[in-house]
Amino acid sequence: MKLRFLMALWAAKLSQPLLKITKHNGTNFPGELALKLCPDFLKYVAKPRRIITVTGTDGKTSVSNLICDMLEAEGQRVLNNRAGSNINSGVATSLLSGCTIFNRTRYDVAVLEVDERSSKRIYPYVKPDVTVITNLFRDSIMRNGHPEYIASILTSAIPPETKLILNADDLISASVAPSNPRVYFGLDRLPGDVTECVNRINDLRICPKCAGKLEYEYRHYHHIGRAHCRDCGFQSPAPDYLGTDVDLEKMTMTVRDAAGDHPYKLLSDSTFNIYNQVTAIALMRELGMDHDKIASLMSHIKIAESRYLSQKAGQVEVVMQMAKDRNALACSRVFDYVTSRPGEKELLLMMNNLSDDLHWSENTCWLYDCDFEFLNDDGVIHVVATGPRAKDYYLRLRLAGVPADRVDCVRDEFEAADKLLLRPGSSVYLLYGADNRSLTMAHRVREKIIHRAEEAQA
Amino acid sequence: MKIEILYPEVCNLYGDLANAEYLSRSSGAEIVTTSLKEKPHFPEEDIALVYMGTTTERGQELVRDAFAPWLGALKERTAQGGLTLITGNALEIFGEYIQDEERKIPMLGLFPSHAERHMMARYNSLYLGKYGEMDIVGFKSQFGHSYGDNGEGLFTTVRGPGLNPEVKPEGFRQGNLMATYLVGPLAILNPPFAKELLHLMGVAAPQLECEDIAYEAYQIRVREFSDPNRGFTY
Repeated sequence: MKLRFLMALWAAKLSQPLLKITKHNGTNFPGELALKLCPDFLKYVAKPRRIITVTGTDGKTSVSNLICDMLEAEGQRVLNNRAGSNINSGVATSLLSGCTIFNRTRYDVAVLEVDERSSKRIYPYVKPDVTVITNLFRDSIMRNGHPEYIASILTSAIPPETKLILNADDLISASVAPSNPRVYFGLDRLPGDVTECVNRINDLRICPKCAGKLEYEYRHYHHIGRAHCRDCGFQSPAPDYLGTDVDLEKMTMTVRDAAGDHPYKLLSDSTFNIYNQVTAIALMRELGMDHDKIASLMSHIKIAESRYLSQKAGQVEVVMQMAKDRNALACSRVFDYVTSRPGEKELLLMMNNLSDDLHWSENTCWLYDCDFEFLNDDGVIHVVATGPRAKDYYLRLRLAGVPADRVDCVRDEFEAADKLLLRPGSSVYLLYGADNRSLTMAHRVREKIIHRAEEAQA
Repeated sequence: MKIEILYPEVCNLYGDLANAEYLSRSSGAEIVTTSLKEKPHFPEEDIALVYMGTTTERGQELVRDAFAPWLGALKERTAQGGLTLITGNALEIFGEYIQDEERKIPMLGLFPSHAERHMMARYNSLYLGKYGEMDIVGFKSQFGHSYGDNGEGLFTTVRGPGLNPEVKPEGFRQGNLMATYLVGPLAILNPPFAKELLHLMGVAAPQLECEDIAYEAYQIRVREFSDPNRGFTY
């Protein structure tokens, strides 16, 4: 083993207690240091005998957590990167944390969430046995370009022997690494499905083979659904694991595979999370686990709600929900979900990227890929746009048809909180961005809203 | 009055289609679309604006093949003063070729330029420029730049890159055929330019939808982008 690698490992390990003492634990610094000292650190660091990676635009954190929780509940020692990041330095930090100073791993299996763009720096050294790709949508304009580009990166980066677990309802991610062994998961027709896209983002409108128009038998949202080409006959692959008979009242579904049908309790009522659950089931089945065992493990698991915080305050429900700044798809999904909730809703839009505002200026093109039109709904009684890009949000809301008397625009986030109506019985959604400054600001604004709501009741 | 969107099934990235929507809603113009396997409307119909937006790299080649038979009709339209707006990397389709590492991809050759593409080096920037006396603000997000003679360009750069980071002229202009690398809702971000486009479409007294708000947002952005302390590349 290279001396350089050992030096890097020891230096990185030494940095961990120091970071803990200085209350900087949870950062990628150890991995960054290791990669700086030894650029091919990932090649030499000890790894568990089984490696599972989860990638894709949306759902990778939820799916990774589900898989980790189930494997841990089964008694396996599972290494993961949920406390750190999903880029190469985050993966390096996790792997070095999981081995001894003599470079021996302490884990049976690694479940690693991998950022799609970082896959070229990870997969040459960390070769997964199984890779799950949840879906591919357009994401950050600046970083990810478009999903075809991300699919091409994954195709060139994923090792040829890695088994893929792919979304049959997403013809973009389903096309990744076509020579690799693969199975597909999917979700059957649901109430409310459409055949024509009702979203602004529709990332796959033409046949990947002949550029003919795709026709959908059903579409859950955006380009996710079952499609075929009317010109050449190309069609969505048949799912090996199909979520079907979804019953949102009873919170149940059936998963159909080669072994037959098996009932499951739903962990969440959102279509996104039902997909996440079916994805995790497909992975566990591929690892050889039987349905009864998976269902039993899942019955003790909750989908992490780290990005969703709800509290009753006075006579309103205050919900703080991450909506991922600069990500039209994520915000569209949140808008769709919020408007589908019962009762009156009030929204405070503060998904601005506050870090961008410090250094340059947020690229706001995504606002016109995002379905603000969902907010033109009678259940949405009031929307307040705030933050550095408040005026852009305000314009977008008005162009989406939200009536002027339902929208306010206030630059200062705390003054914006004062504008909220806090009508008794309503829900107030505070939507915030993914950067740390936004999160800190959102917590402070949430406190103010709660204070106002409690004061109003008193 | 009609606005034709060319190939929206592939030329639809980064909110670009909002340009045609906004101009349509501000003028009452009907939107007609042409898909890859259809004949465009503009050679035979009275089209006030032909619009093409940003696409994928595969999309560039599909559009090149689909549009090649209609290049002459576009030249004729331009000679007669017809208005055409091309945004984002759709501009590269009308250059001579795209050099993608070792691969040289022939394009339509309307503009005397070629693009150099580097898929692992995405380029992001803010943009501040001039259209006549008018301030233009916008965003660039692309995998390459174009090189060659673009004359005075469509816009004159004040801050940010022109057709490439070494030159001031941004985009191309041949009569009322306009092409720019700027992506996204250019017309919404720049209400004075949107009114200019409406004027060129033949709208006598252009009035934009939500004009007051659009101008307020525009003025905020012009101030921000004019601040010398504001970073410009991402």
